[in-house]
Amino acid sequence: MGQDRLQLAWVSSAEAQRFVQVATDITASVKEQGALDVSVFELELEAALMTVSAENLRWLVSKELKLTSQGDVYGRHWDTARYETIMDSVLEREYEKNLIYLAIKAGNQSVREINQRTGLALKRVSYLLADLEKTNRVAFERMQDSNPVFSAL
Amino acid sequence: MSDSEPKIVAFLCNWCAYAGADLAGVSRLQYPSNLRTVRVMCSGRVDPVFIITALREGADGVLVAG
Repeated sequence: MGQDRLQLAWVSSAEAQRFVQVATDITASVKEQGALDVSVFELELEAALMTVSAENLRWLVSKELKLTSQGDVYGRHWDTARYETIMDSVLEREYEKNLIYLAIKAGNQSVREINQRTGLALKRVSYLLADLEKTNRVAFERMQDSNPVFSAL
Repeated sequence: MSDSEPKIVAFLCNWCAYAGADLAGVSRLQYPSNLRTVRVMCSGRVDPVFIITALREGADGVLVAG
């Protein structure tokens, strides 16, 4: 999508010149990349939105301080680096699962079709499909030319 | 696309960047008018949902400044 389309900057209330610089820079970089054709990323954005809106994930975010300072309910201590590593992999996995779910919903029902639509590796797709099946989000429908076909629930 | 102007949604912290932008205006500094400003009480208030929604609704770029 282009990395510079989202920028984070720190500008203090006294730094008018810095604000002008930031505003000029982002305008120039977005202009250079051209208009964003959002229809190309429809599935990806929807999957990202589903991921960051998920209640369980948002709970996990709000528990960061507790987990890293007092530990979890089993008394295990989590350092910040470990928490962040896990958070990253959880986000990635949930995002990929949502992407697969949406791809199936959009009519890409076999593993190969999902792979072509999402760009995820075949092995990864099958692995995550098993997970989606367990949580009743997708179901195995039938075999078609010796390929399994799935449907989104 | 160099002829049409990009739309950029800017989430500005009330106490930092928003005041900075205000000061830039008062000091009569020139800056591009592509930013569509959303004032928030703290940049910590900006939810990833806001950013994704902004992009989905037609923003070409998003700036979070605090």
